[in-house]
Amino acid sequence: MTTTPTLGDRAVKLTVLVIAGLLLFAPFLFQDIRSLEVAARICVFIVLVASYDLLIGYTGIVSFAHTMFFGFGAYGAAISLKQMGPGWDAVIVGAIAGALVSLVMAIAIGLLSLRVKAIFFAMITLAAASVAMVLASQLSHFTGGEDGITYKAPQLFKTATKLMLNDEGKVMRVFGVKLNGKLAAYYFVFASSLVLFLVMLRLVGSPVGTVLKAIRENEARAEAIGYRVVAYRTFVFCIAAIIASLAGTVYAIWLKYTGPDTALSFSIMIDILLMVVIGGMGTMYGAVIGAVLLVLAQYYLRDLMGTAAEAVADMPLLPFILDPDRWLFWLGVIFILLVYFFPKGIAGTLAQKGART
Amino acid sequence: MSHPSLITQDLTIRFGGHVAVNAVSCEFRPGELTVIVGPNGAGKTTYFNLISGQLMPSAGTVIKDGVDMTAMPPSTRARHGVGRAFQLTNLFPQLSVLENIRLAVQARSGDGWRFLTRTSSLTELSARAERYLEATKLSAVADVPASTLSHGDQRKLEVALLMAMEPDIYMFDEPTAGMSLDHAPDVLDLIAEIKHDKSKTILLVEHKMDVVRALADRIIVLHNGELIADGAPDEVMSSQIVRDVYLGKSTEAA
Repeated sequence: MTTTPTLGDRAVKLTVLVIAGLLLFAPFLFQDIRSLEVAARICVFIVLVASYDLLIGYTGIVSFAHTMFFGFGAYGAAISLKQMGPGWDAVIVGAIAGALVSLVMAIAIGLLSLRVKAIFFAMITLAAASVAMVLASQLSHFTGGEDGITYKAPQLFKTATKLMLNDEGKVMRVFGVKLNGKLAAYYFVFASSLVLFLVMLRLVGSPVGTVLKAIRENEARAEAIGYRVVAYRTFVFCIAAIIASLAGTVYAIWLKYTGPDTALSFSIMIDILLMVVIGGMGTMYGAVIGAVLLVLAQYYLRDLMGTAAEAVADMPLLPFILDPDRWLFWLGVIFILLVYFFPKGIAGTLAQKGART
Repeated sequence: MSHPSLITQDLTIRFGGHVAVNAVSCEFRPGELTVIVGPNGAGKTTYFNLISGQLMPSAGTVIKDGVDMTAMPPSTRARHGVGRAFQLTNLFPQLSVLENIRLAVQARSGDGWRFLTRTSSLTELSARAERYLEATKLSAVADVPASTLSHGDQRKLEVALLMAMEPDIYMFDEPTAGMSLDHAPDVLDLIAEIKHDKSKTILLVEHKMDVVRALADRIIVLHNGELIADGAPDEVMSSQIVRDVYLGKSTEAA
């Protein structure tokens, strides 16, 4: 925790840089649709988890409404794209509408309840999130109910769109990758996520960032030296809500579908919590590591186990244990081991290593 | 005599049926160091909490430089120049010593709401924080977390935080509590230094009689939440009522 970088600090930063590089070149490195799907999900979840880390890791606010804000952004884009047609105007309207609703809700929840004890605040956010979920499924003429909404993304992001043509008039390829709308969509996701993440990185390195940590450490003293704790808490709650909302908009544009499962379900909230805990709270970089690990595990652990089970097919018992159907069990085992060996999350625990040397 | 910088009028707080501070009216002036004494449970710390805003009074007012502060939260009072150090060490344990001080500096300088500026680019802020590090001889430990400091250094950091707030009113609550004899003078020297600046008003809760004698311009005595004596040190310490309730016991203890 010293300000001089430790070996672990450097390792964490290096890992994050490598991840950023892999994500930047993902369409060229992993040339199949599923991989690109995974890469885009990782980008969006890094932003979502980092914005949650602003709350839980930096300020010590426990909120269960983070998916709600993510959902506002996603539904904002989905509804406007559905109603207004696939244009950039719809994207902008949707993003702003989602962010505004998130802001108003965040201010309301924040001012009404950030004065109360942490546990009551958590309960209030839980209630708000449940209400949002019920509304999304009940207002079906508007939100598509449980089925969600399917819509078209702007022209630029259509797979059929050719960004560049070669001599024969077909879509140009670079290193075998078609320069089509899908690629444009991925880089839209990547660039938006990068910008949002850098904004948050700037925030935590600013004077406000230190105040947030001070509030986490010692709320009463932060107040006593002149910081209005309630105002700072509400402020960071609003910022986190807006960023989560924008992440939702980006993801909605990428998926071209928005429904309770992709944008509002409670399992997303649990994913966020797991990612921030595994990655390391209060580090920002932990969000990157946590999001990468969990998304990869969710997409590839089954495949990996299938391969492993085949490899040991002749041995007794092992194929049974490694059956792909048991992937959730192994995911759970991995989580428990990670939390056991990295009590402060991977980034948090590593950052302390090498401090003694 | 200068105008009072801080006035409490009939300041009262009740916890259920218990009156912890009972109608205390008192004026404090710049350039004056007032020591507040009284037996345990007399309401000294509660009186402090009422002035700095941690507690809201049941009745009475707190006025600073003509402004009624009674309804203000602690943060607003701090920005109005009421600085308070705490009896039990009350720091930001995981943050570095420098960050602790910088927090106090930036609260005062009004940089506390900058959220897209790198802290490291605010050189004026760091320079001022460094100055308080040097003043309190904590430069060597600037980068270690506050929680790893020795008790004596934590007490010094507590004082450094207060100085970095650059308040008009300094409130110390037993600044040398739990400090070894060879470390206590460091903190007392700092207080004496603040005293040189005649524009500052200093309030000090202290038990150690040698400290009281060395620093006090004036002593007020609280007993069962009531102000029972107020005056020059010699005068107060020789008064019969004070001897009865307080000094008789305490001089033996000290």
